[in-house]
Amino acid sequence: MLKIRDVCKIFNHTKVLENINLDVKKSSILGIAGPSGCGKSTFLRCIQKLEPIDHGTIECGGRTGFMFQDFQLFPHMTVLQNLTYAPTLKNKDSGKDYKKQAEGMLGDLGMASKANEYPNTLSGGQKQRVALARSLMTQPDILLCDEPTSGLDVSTTMDVVALLQSVGEQFGITIIIASHDLDFLTKISDRIVLLKDGAIAVDMDPRTDGAPIDFLKRYY
Amino acid sequence: MNKIISNFLYIGSGIGLTLKLTFGGVFIGIIGGTLLSVLRHNGIARPIVNAIISVLRGTPLLLQLSLIYFIAPGIVGFRPDLLSAGILAFGINSSAYIAEIFRAGIESLPKGQFEAAQALEIPRFYTWKDIILPQVVVNIFPALVNEVIALLKETALIAMIGGMDIMRRAQTIAVEQYEYFMPLCMAGIYYYGLVLLIGFVGKKIETWKHYAKNS
Repeated sequence: MLKIRDVCKIFNHTKVLENINLDVKKSSILGIAGPSGCGKSTFLRCIQKLEPIDHGTIECGGRTGFMFQDFQLFPHMTVLQNLTYAPTLKNKDSGKDYKKQAEGMLGDLGMASKANEYPNTLSGGQKQRVALARSLMTQPDILLCDEPTSGLDVSTTMDVVALLQSVGEQFGITIIIASHDLDFLTKISDRIVLLKDGAIAVDMDPRTDGAPIDFLKRYY
Repeated sequence: MNKIISNFLYIGSGIGLTLKLTFGGVFIGIIGGTLLSVLRHNGIARPIVNAIISVLRGTPLLLQLSLIYFIAPGIVGFRPDLLSAGILAFGINSSAYIAEIFRAGIESLPKGQFEAAQALEIPRFYTWKDIILPQVVVNIFPALVNEVIALLKETALIAMIGGMDIMRRAQTIAVEQYEYFMPLCMAGIYYYGLVLLIGFVGKKIETWKHYAKNS
């Protein structure tokens, strides 16, 4: 689904990503762990082409969707408009009504009553769901999530775990999550890659390795 | 008393020209300013746009007005009427200041708004039209109202090329009647009244149009 070969990214003469090689299987959940500043977010941004890479190749076997750490919902649009704007614009000749699809998706995420609200009236967890729904409306094959649990409490974090897992299963999409929250990553991921100083330091399956959190913490 | 009233009314009949110049200028200024600020994000156009803005802000408005009214006819072959020349000069000058206001407004938006639009594959034109500019306009609205007020006062320069606006009418009475204090005070009252009115309407629109900026 995703082939990454020898990827390097340099910011102001500093190598932020160094020779990253990675293959990601379809419908899997990959966690990207690592201390702050290790290049997790840059890695996701390079996959999404928000940042150009300086060396290497990224072959994406499908469309990507991106969930930003601070959601980046459009504040002047209602929740429903946030969801329908991009797909309607993109397929305006098809005459397809995306409103129903968006309403269905909001219903699935328990957000049906918020369809006509503006983002500023929503809680962090609710914004998270809207951001997720907005990404899913573009029918991505790979969903990139940058720190999806930052600023959320434990209970909402658990909701996000359940939500992403069900989204992965329901839509059969590949999910790549960058997070510093090892507890969250070990619960949700099929595979965890730990970045340190821009390079892959660990590549593990958290379900088969004994105490993944303790193991990963050694690299922080 | 009758003389005071007739002077007051005579000066007040210049409001029409003052308002036409102000709002005509602001109209052109908003279109020009928006265009300049969007073009500024294009690598090739940026130095040209920056040069235009720098010249417009760095030379007197009276000079620009005089160039358009007195010099342009020799180049384009016809003399614009006073109102058109005024609106054009005030509009072009205002577009430089409005472009700067837009720049501040665009820079105050999180970079993530552009990136979110990019990630959703929204084309560049629609990103500007439907995502960026609607947010920017709300953010910069108070500064735009200030620009309207500044331009309203600057329209008094039209008197220098013979426009019979509030200021020119006050000066005419002053010269005719050898009395400066009253007519100039009357002109001041008109300008101040208009400024208060624009400020009031601006506040009303601001309140009506407001929504929280943080998503």
